[in-house]
Amino acid sequence: MAAQSLLFAAAAPLFQAPASACPFHSLRIVSAPAGAAAAVRALVVADATKKAVAVLKGTSQVEGVVTLTQDDDGPTTVNVRITGLTPGLHGFHLHEFGDTTNGCISTGPHFNPNGLTHGAPEDEVRHAGDLGNIVANAEGVAETTIVDSQIPLTGPNAVVGRAFVVHELEDDLGKGGHELSLSTGNAGGRLACGVVGLTPL
Amino acid sequence: MVGFLRAFTAASAVPAAAVAAVALSSSSSSPSRPPSSRLRFPPPPSLSAFAASSSSSSAVRAPTAAPPMAAAAASTADLSAPDKGTALPELTTEFMVDMKCEGCVTAVKNRLQTLEGIQNIEVDLNNQVVRVRGSLPVKIMLDALHQTGRDARLIGQGNPDDFLVSAAVAEFKGPVIFGVVRLAQVNMELARVEATFSGLSPGKHGWSINEFGDLTKGAESTGKVYNPPDYLSEKPLGDLGILEAGENGEAQFSGSKEKLKVVDLIGRSIALYATEDKSDSGIAAAVVARSAGVGENYKKLCTCDGVTIWESS
Repeated sequence: MAAQSLLFAAAAPLFQAPASACPFHSLRIVSAPAGAAAAVRALVVADATKKAVAVLKGTSQVEGVVTLTQDDDGPTTVNVRITGLTPGLHGFHLHEFGDTTNGCISTGPHFNPNGLTHGAPEDEVRHAGDLGNIVANAEGVAETTIVDSQIPLTGPNAVVGRAFVVHELEDDLGKGGHELSLSTGNAGGRLACGVVGLTPL
Repeated sequence: MVGFLRAFTAASAVPAAAVAAVALSSSSSSPSRPPSSRLRFPPPPSLSAFAASSSSSSAVRAPTAAPPMAAAAASTADLSAPDKGTALPELTTEFMVDMKCEGCVTAVKNRLQTLEGIQNIEVDLNNQVVRVRGSLPVKIMLDALHQTGRDARLIGQGNPDDFLVSAAVAEFKGPVIFGVVRLAQVNMELARVEATFSGLSPGKHGWSINEFGDLTKGAESTGKVYNPPDYLSEKPLGDLGILEAGENGEAQFSGSKEKLKVVDLIGRSIALYATEDKSDSGIAAAVVARSAGVGENYKKLCTCDGVTIWESS
């Protein structure tokens, strides 16, 4: 019985997810046909868009801005723009702490609340902070959008206050066979990092 | 639950303070502890009583032991921190210290024991961790550790097992103003605030916790001074008062602030202002980041190739 109602509760926001991606929240509320209850729920959905931002800096000329958006309990959309990189692949991870007092090193290991080994973003077994690689073009600019469901902006595993780190080398996604593959993806040094901060909606 | 805890702390503070202070000073500062207690850190007893007892049990700190503190206190005379002029509330701070032998352990312990305001020192040689419980500012402890000729870094701060988020740090990364602000939860009603800054123009500067940690436009995009809706006071909770920078452009602060909850500050920012006036946007800001609590950060430092790296787990 409990499981049944749980399933039902989980299903409801799923059906709403496409609608909440629509930018006309207020219109939807006004025209909500199902009466007061539906209007209240729509309001909650519209209210629950969460945003955060990290400004990345390092010792070299690598810098960038990462913005995060999450609707309700849905996946988090991460917009990345980082400049000053060498062309090619660079590991891009969320690390456990936002502490940069000893440079990007003091941000600790990849954010890993479930105690798993390193992997690719699409793997079952991965750190929550494993976001794979970003690709810098010939000008050294990496621009990409990542959608991931393991990096929420609120709750016990919230990413706010932790740090994004862009690495020197390619992340082998745990499959390189190197002794560091299953912990760091053997992605080398940390070029730049930035703490995730709250931002106005 | 909160009400109960508060009542308990208040009721037990005074008698517990005396007992705790005596018990600790007699049992803890012995340099020769059994090896088993070096390898593990047993949780200190009765944390709530300690937190409440801090001002009474450690008010005897000799002024000569802490010249930097004296300077800091003078430069922050009109700060809003409630207990300026008195000792800081007690807290456990963990340092990673470059130690290779038992002799190093003794040297580190002996140096720390010359400082007043330290209740307990534990050294874990295997992990190269020194854990200090006391009421001294971080800077004084770090200076003492460096004076032994060893590398030392703060790796964790807080009250073990007490809070989901117990420690936070905000780092000002220049290019003009550099600084580090550390926040640590002491008990449910009190947080410790320590800061060092350089690169300021000499004179008075307001500083505050602001509601957003958005640095895309520097301090301009950090919003207003943080004030939770249930905080009813003339000044917003996030108002940290005034810092006074000396001729060298440096400013320091060590104090504590009531009602401040570190967990609610994560992802917000700390802003510095050009003058005492906080109505214009600040001149520099830094995001309040999660930092390691006590025992959360035993990743070993490796200096083998000249670069210090954290071993990832």
